[in-house]
Amino acid sequence: MGRTLPTASMLIQQEEQSFARFRRALRRSDQVALDDLFAAARQHLAAAQYAAHALPFEVLLLAMLLEEHKEVMRLRQQLDELPDASRNG
Amino acid sequence: MDEILTGWLLDVYREETSLTLWLLDDDGQRRRLTHPFPAAFYAAGPANQLRALWRWLSEQEIQVHLSRMERKDVFQGIVTVLAVEVVHAPQLDALFRRAVETYPDLTYYDGDISISLRYAARFGVFPLARCQVVVNAERVKTITALNTPWELEPAPVPLRILSIEPDRDPAQACPRHLVIRYDRIRYILPLEPARAFLISLRSTLERYDPDLILTDWGDTWLLPCLLKLSKEYNLPLPLNRAETQGVIEHQARTYFSYGQIVYKGSQVQLRGRMHIDRRNAMMWSDYGLEGVLEMARVTALPIQDAARLSPGTGISSMQFVTALRANILIPWHKHQAEQPKTALELIHTDMGGLVYQPTIGLHKDIGGIDFVSMYPGIMVRFNISPEVPRSKAGDLTPATGEPGKVPSMGIVPQTLAPLLEKRIAFKTALGNLHPKDCRREVYKARASAEKWLLVTCFGYLGYKNARFGAIESHEAVTAYGREALLRAKEAAEDLDFSILHMYVDGLWVQKPGCSTPEDFQALLAEVSERTSLPIALDGIYRWVVFLPSRVDERIPVPNRYFGVFQDGSIKVRGIEARRHDTPPFIAETQMKILAILAKAADADRLPDFLPEARQYIGQRLDELAKGRVPLAELLVSQRLSRELTEYSSPSPAARAVWQMQAEGKQIHPGQQVRFLYTRGEPGVHAWDGTESTDISMVDSNRYKTLLMRAVGTIIRPIEQHFEIMPQHSNYVLFPNQKAGPVKELGGQMPLATFLDLRGRLVQLH
Repeated sequence: MGRTLPTASMLIQQEEQSFARFRRALRRSDQVALDDLFAAARQHLAAAQYAAHALPFEVLLLAMLLEEHKEVMRLRQQLDELPDASRNG
Repeated sequence: MDEILTGWLLDVYREETSLTLWLLDDDGQRRRLTHPFPAAFYAAGPANQLRALWRWLSEQEIQVHLSRMERKDVFQGIVTVLAVEVVHAPQLDALFRRAVETYPDLTYYDGDISISLRYAARFGVFPLARCQVVVNAERVKTITALNTPWELEPAPVPLRILSIEPDRDPAQACPRHLVIRYDRIRYILPLEPARAFLISLRSTLERYDPDLILTDWGDTWLLPCLLKLSKEYNLPLPLNRAETQGVIEHQARTYFSYGQIVYKGSQVQLRGRMHIDRRNAMMWSDYGLEGVLEMARVTALPIQDAARLSPGTGISSMQFVTALRANILIPWHKHQAEQPKTALELIHTDMGGLVYQPTIGLHKDIGGIDFVSMYPGIMVRFNISPEVPRSKAGDLTPATGEPGKVPSMGIVPQTLAPLLEKRIAFKTALGNLHPKDCRREVYKARASAEKWLLVTCFGYLGYKNARFGAIESHEAVTAYGREALLRAKEAAEDLDFSILHMYVDGLWVQKPGCSTPEDFQALLAEVSERTSLPIALDGIYRWVVFLPSRVDERIPVPNRYFGVFQDGSIKVRGIEARRHDTPPFIAETQMKILAILAKAADADRLPDFLPEARQYIGQRLDELAKGRVPLAELLVSQRLSRELTEYSSPSPAARAVWQMQAEGKQIHPGQQVRFLYTRGEPGVHAWDGTESTDISMVDSNRYKTLLMRAVGTIIRPIEQHFEIMPQHSNYVLFPNQKAGPVKELGGQMPLATFLDLRGRLVQLH
């Protein structure tokens, strides 16, 4: 069946491909981190589709940031759960 | 003298000048009646051309009544038309064709509607309707339906059904005998000697005089073969009950539908009796004869057509009947293009349903809730139809239920409403019936036939060649759908449920302490209130596993899961067992493993059943290694998607077709190809129409890989959840990745739950 517009998942793929040169020039360790960011963006395909934003990359960046912030929240919680002594020492 | 008959309408079809109908009357007589009735088509256009058409029509031999009238066109509003009423409906087709040839520039309506649908619309009858008929010398004076297609349980029709099936698939080898069954009789009829065979079959047809002949491969092999033999031996077979017409044969064809190449074999239709080929009937495996009869009842298509209808024909027919009854014009060729949109409008409207990524892993006590027939429900509830004006996509105010200034229901919802109501009634009745009630199967088949009509209706709304299709209506349906799903999500979150997955019209929700249907009632009521659409609890899963992508384990994919309901029944989507190309041996192994795991009373007991599952896997691997699996169980069945010459690198299916062609057998795109994986080149062995192969040729390693992959889909997520080391090294699905175990934290309601970047489940308290 024909489709007029690409889906959110196709858009992410296109964006990822458009950064192929950027990715190639990164160190191997940085490439892994970059791939993680794109995988993170893929957690929010439905929201990205529903947003129907004219500039999909902005939505991708926000989705990556969202996952990063969740990671920060998780780490902060772990830190709060540590006994005071170990935190200072 | 007039005679009043009551009975069931079996079939209607056209003869030279009148319509023939077959009535099964209450005395058990099969009556062939004729019914002359008029039918009309319409033309619109410039006045001078219409006048010319008027003059031309009045000079034709075919008897017509001409008049000028105003009629409603769904897309143009009220138009002035020349109404051409043909006195004898069967002559309309010929006259219409000639009119179009002579005056091709006019806009025509109602020109290509089949006579059976016109008849159904005019007299309110339908196949298998209870009718009262007043006849005089076998001519119908009046006909009245005593019931409607919407009755849940119409009185059973005492049809005489004769079943004929060859002893083997004629595509594989020449059958040697036929199995004949009727009432409680079953006998075997050898095909040779042909003369004796024909005489015997003829006597069965004469003696039993069946209404319905049910065959296997009757369209493609049996009936053409019988016709040929009967001609060769000059022994007429009473396949038809009526002698006035021959058997109707249609050629095979391949077409493209719903993104798939479809092959339709040739067809043979009878007159006075009906013929259904189980192998060529749509959805036979899904709903059987009961579903076919239901399809005929609700669509008003003759039973022989209903059995073979292509997707969309049924729902279009229903719309035609609605339109004919409501005096709405049915465009012959639709000229309606999409309304212009800005790029931003397009981005906002051109979307499907919302598809979320599920939370990967094993989950306990999950409620699966679904909107009931969501898209048809939206069309009916919000009156979505091409002729009903809608506000711009931006000001969409869903779920208010106010159709605005629209005076009446549009043609699409008007057609759908009774169908939807009937399906919901069946679903409700099924929920209340005892599991062993004999009505269950019948209800299920009928509900399934209705489901297919409802599903197709949404697709047809967006199909530019559908007579009552408009892409704007199609987009409006999905927009309402997205809004409803989001409102359901908000309702669930407001009631402290966490959401594991959402898929177009369904949600999977979880809340600690919620494990009985009553626990979900408040949520259902709230969603219903906020969306004004019916929503139901599909069931409560003891446990469910959402699976990640095959390519990247970090990425969850929608609609790939398996789970066990509280009653022990299993639901699977997207896994190997559901795929049509999975060999039966592998599908069966996968389902059996699930059946073993389904014995666990709750998710925490799952590890207790892993040893039994592993033992079973070992046993299946052993069968495979020792060549004890019947070859038919290892068959891969794939659809040939294009012509052989179009393959740049031939798929296994294409290679199998090469082999079949070498044996002189033709396969068309859309047809199924069955083959085995074999060792060496070319790696496959075509199953149909080639010499049989022996078990030693089978590529058991390839089957082992396929088997272990299917096994891994089920076992691995469970082992991961309970942090059990894998016992089978072969089912490492993602060789490049090491994903950590997905661990669920119990206890109080978390503030937030999500998977982190490494696939770990994180809950914030």
